[in-house]
Amino acid sequence: MSTLQFLADGFAVAFQWQNLLFAFVGVIIGTAVGVLPGIGPMSGVALLIPVTATLTSGLPTEAAAASSIILLAGVYYGAMYGGSTTSILLNTPGESSSVVTTLDGYQMAKQGRAGSALSIAAIGSFCAGIIALLGLVLLAKPLSSVALKFGPAEYFSLMLLGLAAVSGLAGRSITKALIMTVLGLMLGTVGIDAVSGIERFTFGQPMLFSGIEFLTIAVGLFALGEVFKTILEKSDDDGQIAKINRILPTKQDLKDSAVPIARGSFLGFFIGVLPGAGATLASFFSYITEKKFSKTPEKFGKGHIAGVAGPESANNAASGGAMIPLLTLGIPGSGTTAILMGALIMYNIQPGPLLFDEHPEVAWGLIASMFIGNLMLLVLNMPLVRIFAKVIETPKKYLLPIIIAISFFGVYAVQYTTFDLYLLLACGLLGYLFAKNDYPVAPLVLALVLGPMIENNMRRALTISNGDFSIFMTKPLSLLFLIVAVSWLLIPLFMKMRGKNVIINEEE
Amino acid sequence: MSQTFDKISSIVFFIIGILFVVQATQISDSAYGSTVGPKTFPLGLGIILVLLSLRLLYETWRQAVKARLAKGPQSPSKTFSIEIKKFLILFISAIAYVFFLEIVGYVITTFIFLLIGFQTMERGKVLFSVIISAAFSIGIYYLFSVILGGSLPSFPTF
Repeated sequence: MSTLQFLADGFAVAFQWQNLLFAFVGVIIGTAVGVLPGIGPMSGVALLIPVTATLTSGLPTEAAAASSIILLAGVYYGAMYGGSTTSILLNTPGESSSVVTTLDGYQMAKQGRAGSALSIAAIGSFCAGIIALLGLVLLAKPLSSVALKFGPAEYFSLMLLGLAAVSGLAGRSITKALIMTVLGLMLGTVGIDAVSGIERFTFGQPMLFSGIEFLTIAVGLFALGEVFKTILEKSDDDGQIAKINRILPTKQDLKDSAVPIARGSFLGFFIGVLPGAGATLASFFSYITEKKFSKTPEKFGKGHIAGVAGPESANNAASGGAMIPLLTLGIPGSGTTAILMGALIMYNIQPGPLLFDEHPEVAWGLIASMFIGNLMLLVLNMPLVRIFAKVIETPKKYLLPIIIAISFFGVYAVQYTTFDLYLLLACGLLGYLFAKNDYPVAPLVLALVLGPMIENNMRRALTISNGDFSIFMTKPLSLLFLIVAVSWLLIPLFMKMRGKNVIINEEE
Repeated sequence: MSQTFDKISSIVFFIIGILFVVQATQISDSAYGSTVGPKTFPLGLGIILVLLSLRLLYETWRQAVKARLAKGPQSPSKTFSIEIKKFLILFISAIAYVFFLEIVGYVITTFIFLLIGFQTMERGKVLFSVIISAAFSIGIYYLFSVILGGSLPSFPTF
């Protein structure tokens, strides 16, 4: 079957009424998540996994997986839309990926052009989403057929590359990022070994036999960590919300932002495909590029529409691009995609090159639903922007205890043990302490998801080579991946030594 | 960024690494016909963690030396008004929530936890807090257990 045929089938899945509903709910919640400062796309997606698991419990596995991944992906790219709203209206970014949007967006709002800024952000996000999806459609088949030729050695090295990329860009100190990665891998070894059936690090506790649930760790580290931070550190962000006058952008605004949107979309897409570099980096790069290409660079920072259009398109395109390594190679490139992958694995669906053959319904259904979701976001965001602006005013006193209650409910509903709830609280505390002291938590979650697969592929490769570790060096592709992985870690170190500033990805 | 935290954590990571190595060597060998058993991977991880924690300790130490050499005034610590009290109340009530969840049931514990939470965050408007907590706990329970057929500890059985 051709790609077009598959895509048509995907639309057939996406247009089922329950999937339309799931996409709709996903993007609405995503936008809210993006708008609310206390909660990012990662915690939003993590919190919703158990909820979707129960909602879809009546469906057959494959359909359930398709529906819930449609909802979760909707939250992911919906958050990218919503993040811009607070940046523009309040000067406080809802997500790290819309930090740069504050530079020009808030200035525009001050000049009474909040409506134009918001709608340009929405239009830019929409175009970027569509461009990223076209890229996904075009690249999915060829990439997954290449990946099918990979043996265990290549997979092992490729996953190491993924981990190295995320750790290398994750925080101020590579050592700390690597420590978090190793901790994640260690947590992944707890439980009964899949190959030999021997229990490891369980200390005879039956709770640990099935391993440490990634959901508990992710919700704890991100959602609870964030909540604890907001409770502990009172911030005075009760800024004035700017008024929205007219919603539609002027013709001049549209003309000024057309090129930045196109440039931002392509740039963001390619940055998103790279592992480790996510939406935050994409939006920064786009802002710098726009400033460089602009005829009037002095206008940036004073309410230039290109400073909103470029970065906002870039961060949305990056979130679409990030789906490519996840779906075709089975390797998440960022924290949020790692959580999406964990969700798919919960449904016993392994993302990777075989996904397109074994579960075309899930893969193409997701791709098609992203088209629809992006359209919904555009249609929703233009008229409803005022309502979403109201969401910002949700008082924290209600929000924070409810987030705690939702995360408890979510984890308990999936795990049925209070052990996981205690673990959740402990992870929340750790998540707060880690984040406060510059220990990035995203690599830990990524490593926890990838850990068992890395180990299995390593052992498979070593079984083939009879225990000879040189198999990872003698296979050309594997060697290439390893070299890239090492240089990903070393190049930033060298650049730091030479006193250069390294852009880091402080993405959740 | 506090250097004491880094110092303590690097030592903790070091100990975890050592323990991990020790535990890994005690994993029994499998009969599965491979030279690489269930030990190898955790063993390697433990060793890497030990090395990384040493490196972190070194980095922290070097930073401390640098800071001392600069002899500048201690970097002004950010003035967050840290609200330990609020946090402790919420954290302890969260632990109590977990403890009583399977004994007293979901609806009652959630209601009480939310009520305490709302009132700790900001006193006053008790009626409003009661309404929201009740709506949330009963709403979730009803939606999940009754409509979706999930299972939650319902009400006390005594």
